[in-house]
Amino acid sequence: MIGLQDISISYGRREILHDISADIAPQRITAVMGPNGCGKTTLLRLIGGLLQPTAGRVLVDGRDVDSYSARELAQKVAFVRQHAQTDFDFSAFETVLMGRNPYQHHLQNESQEDWDIVERCMRQTGTWELRLAKPAQMSGGELQRVMIARALAQQTPVLLMDEPVSNLDIAHQIDIMRQLKSGEWKAADGERKTVLIVIHDLNLALHFCDDLLLLHEGRCLYHGPMAEGLTEENIKKVYGVDAHVADGRIVLDY
Amino acid sequence: MKNRVNPWVMALLAVLLLAAMAGSCLLGAADIKAADIMQSPIFWSLRLPRVLMSVLVGAVLSVCGAAYQSIFRNPLTDPYVLGVSSGASLGAAVAILLGLEAAVWGVGGMALAAALATVWLIYRIASIGNRMHTTTLLLTGVCLTLLISALISFLMVLNQEKMDSIIFWTMGSFGSSAWSDVAVMAPVAVLGIGVVLWHGRDLNLLLAGSEAARSMGCEVEKVKRVLLLATTLMVAFAVSSCGVIGFVGLIVPHAVRLVAGPDNRRVVPYAMLCGALFVLVCDTLARYLLRPSELPVGSLTSMVGAPLFIYLLYRNKKGY
Repeated sequence: MIGLQDISISYGRREILHDISADIAPQRITAVMGPNGCGKTTLLRLIGGLLQPTAGRVLVDGRDVDSYSARELAQKVAFVRQHAQTDFDFSAFETVLMGRNPYQHHLQNESQEDWDIVERCMRQTGTWELRLAKPAQMSGGELQRVMIARALAQQTPVLLMDEPVSNLDIAHQIDIMRQLKSGEWKAADGERKTVLIVIHDLNLALHFCDDLLLLHEGRCLYHGPMAEGLTEENIKKVYGVDAHVADGRIVLDY
Repeated sequence: MKNRVNPWVMALLAVLLLAAMAGSCLLGAADIKAADIMQSPIFWSLRLPRVLMSVLVGAVLSVCGAAYQSIFRNPLTDPYVLGVSSGASLGAAVAILLGLEAAVWGVGGMALAAALATVWLIYRIASIGNRMHTTTLLLTGVCLTLLISALISFLMVLNQEKMDSIIFWTMGSFGSSAWSDVAVMAPVAVLGIGVVLWHGRDLNLLLAGSEAARSMGCEVEKVKRVLLLATTLMVAFAVSSCGVIGFVGLIVPHAVRLVAGPDNRRVVPYAMLCGALFVLVCDTLARYLLRPSELPVGSLTSMVGAPLFIYLLYRNKKGY
């Protein structure tokens, strides 16, 4: 579904990602992990067509990301960003409704179907009760769930999520991760989504994600099944932290 | 939760506007009876073109303000605050000094070139870094306005015999509106407002930020370029025919949003009619209050707009 071919990217002199190649398996959940500043967000922005690599190619559905129009790409890839903010007072419902934009033309209004999709996505993320709330009236976690609902409303086969649960309380963290794993979030054609998720919580990642893409100093240290990748050795190497892995749980030494 | 324009509201506003236009035509320094108005040369060659110009310019400035606030993602911007109107007036002043005022499109063209240069400069400076900061944006606008008024003063001192006609551009007035102005302004307004209306959905997405807008299918750079071109065209021709009229683009969209919410598919059409009405009323007051002498309409709109701007700035500060 997503192919990364020898990707490198620099901001000015600083090289963020170096020679990354990976085939992200379709309809699986891939956790993108690594310490702060290792290029996780940059990787997602490359796949979302928001950045061009200095070298290499990003393929979505076999096509170069650059070859898509914004509208076409928005029907393939949705992006939940880390920080959501707006100074204008769109209600939560209006915000999620914007996720239907890639399916509409300039002067076309949203149909009943669009409204139904929006209601379903808001119910899934537990934001339907907030539908009339303005951004200023919502907490960070609530706003984050509205942003997830907006990305779901795009009904894309690919979902990119940049730390979607960092602002959520533990109950909502687990709820969102469960839904992610259960596959109840569907693309427009009813198939499971291919998900890339940046996540810091090792145990959430281990429990809910299928694959791991571990970044270390701009390079890909490991890409493969989660259980084999999140080892004591890799954690020590990437984060410099001692950890014990036992019974599907990771315990850190403080 | 409807996102459509309410046709009844549009109809009501249109009726109000037509009534105000009729009322404005009856008022003036010369006392003309309603029954005789169709025979009056004052009506045909002075009042009617002036009323039409104030309606067109009001609509144009309000729509530009609404569009700017989305493009720059900042509720405190409009072509006046950012110095684009001043830029256009500098272009117009230069055109007059070069003796181009005989050709309507000559003054408009120079105003357009200078306004485009100003927009480009603002956009370059303000988009350093990913997010445009309110302070950078507004200070850039203030500095450009000061720089441009210095340049205009300089030009006036060098060419004292044309001072009067240049001062006119810095004050803003419909006093010399003629049919030739209407003939230029009407097509520009139709084209420009049409472009902004067409992009209503994109304007909403831009408010979510460039990257979010792009992820939701908006060709951000292309859309911004088209919108900036269309709005600058409108501002330039408005300024070249009636000078700088401040704060209209700030007041009207804000008032509309208070009632209609932030969706630009409603804000833009409502702002168009409300703006026309607002400037028409201001101009009618400007020429009627002190008859037979006149107030500059720009000073009236600024007396309403500047306090509102300060209030918004204050409220914004508190919010952050």
